[in-house]
Amino acid sequence: MLGRIIDVFDRRLKFKEDFKKNVLDHPVPQRINLTYCFGGISFLLYMLLAATGIAMIFFYVPSVDHAFVTVEYITFDLPLGNILRGIHHWSANIMIVVLFLHMLRVYVYGAYKNPREFNWITGVVLFAFVLAFGFTGYLLPWDQKAYWATKVGVLMPQSAPVAGPFISKLLMGGDQLGALTISRFYAVHVAVLPIITVVFLVGHFLMIRRTGIAEPL
Amino acid sequence: MADEITRRKFLERGIGVMAGAVTIGIGGVALTSIGAPAVTNKLEGKWVEAGSASDLAPDKFNPVGLVYESKDGWMEGKSKMLAYVKVSGENILALSATCSHLGCNVNIDDSTGGFKCPCHTGVYDAAGKNISGPPPKPLKKLEAKIEDGKLMINTMPKEEA
Repeated sequence: MLGRIIDVFDRRLKFKEDFKKNVLDHPVPQRINLTYCFGGISFLLYMLLAATGIAMIFFYVPSVDHAFVTVEYITFDLPLGNILRGIHHWSANIMIVVLFLHMLRVYVYGAYKNPREFNWITGVVLFAFVLAFGFTGYLLPWDQKAYWATKVGVLMPQSAPVAGPFISKLLMGGDQLGALTISRFYAVHVAVLPIITVVFLVGHFLMIRRTGIAEPL
Repeated sequence: MADEITRRKFLERGIGVMAGAVTIGIGGVALTSIGAPAVTNKLEGKWVEAGSASDLAPDKFNPVGLVYESKDGWMEGKSKMLAYVKVSGENILALSATCSHLGCNVNIDDSTGGFKCPCHTGVYDAAGKNISGPPPKPLKKLEAKIEDGKLMINTMPKEEA
């Protein structure tokens, strides 16, 4: 059934052969091992986070008086809402671990060297984006842990010379951690970061197709 | 043999099955959650006290605003609706002001004693029956009673007028 639907498109657009050649039959170095999977796993996690995150946007309200009750609603009232939030929570946590392993493999194998320096650079930037995802997402449930953890995080830049206090205020959207903080963290979490992350991901992927993945040790 | 399963074919299908399972699994969870409120987020009918019966002018429709506690998802707050109530002796006729066309509140038309909808010029007679314009059905009848001089109205329409 699915095969016949695909054939209808393929007879006109001829993509099956290209897909086979460029994806399924794409040549890779011999003896590659399971440690080469961590990049792909983190991309899978990114897609899981996007799907579950988009679903939660339907219910979550980023304001000081509604954030907590809407998270409660998602977790306890919404059918499968706890699964949705659970997948988002655990994917986010596992992503940090998997990215660390991905970077570790690239480092140990020396895969960051010429000609793949820009893959390493975009990768480090992507890792920074993921940490920013984590920092902004952590505040959104607006519970005690979220509030105080973010308070610590936004006040850390204060100790930087000259611009420190201003950076803190920029993060909070003013002098206090409150209404403007939660709405700007939300905006960064669901709009700014997803878009710039996808842009860097596309670069990361296109470049590794160009250079090919590194030989194992 | 055309149907022989090679190792390559087995792996290709395996990838397809796994990708399909993840897509269906996560898509199923997400779409179920997004769609669920259509079924679970119900507006409950309630008996609401709507002022004192002696305030109602007899033998004509009086606009009565109903304000009642309701739960809407994570919000616990007040819902509002408008009803028209006519008391003639022992009989109480309470009509929901919601037009049967597309849900605007209808107004009393003083010249006919019936109702007119401001949105698409639907016209109802004094019994709430649709007589001209787009409305496909009469206005809905609400259950109403007078207890200890208080007008009580049920917010969930029971039947068409």
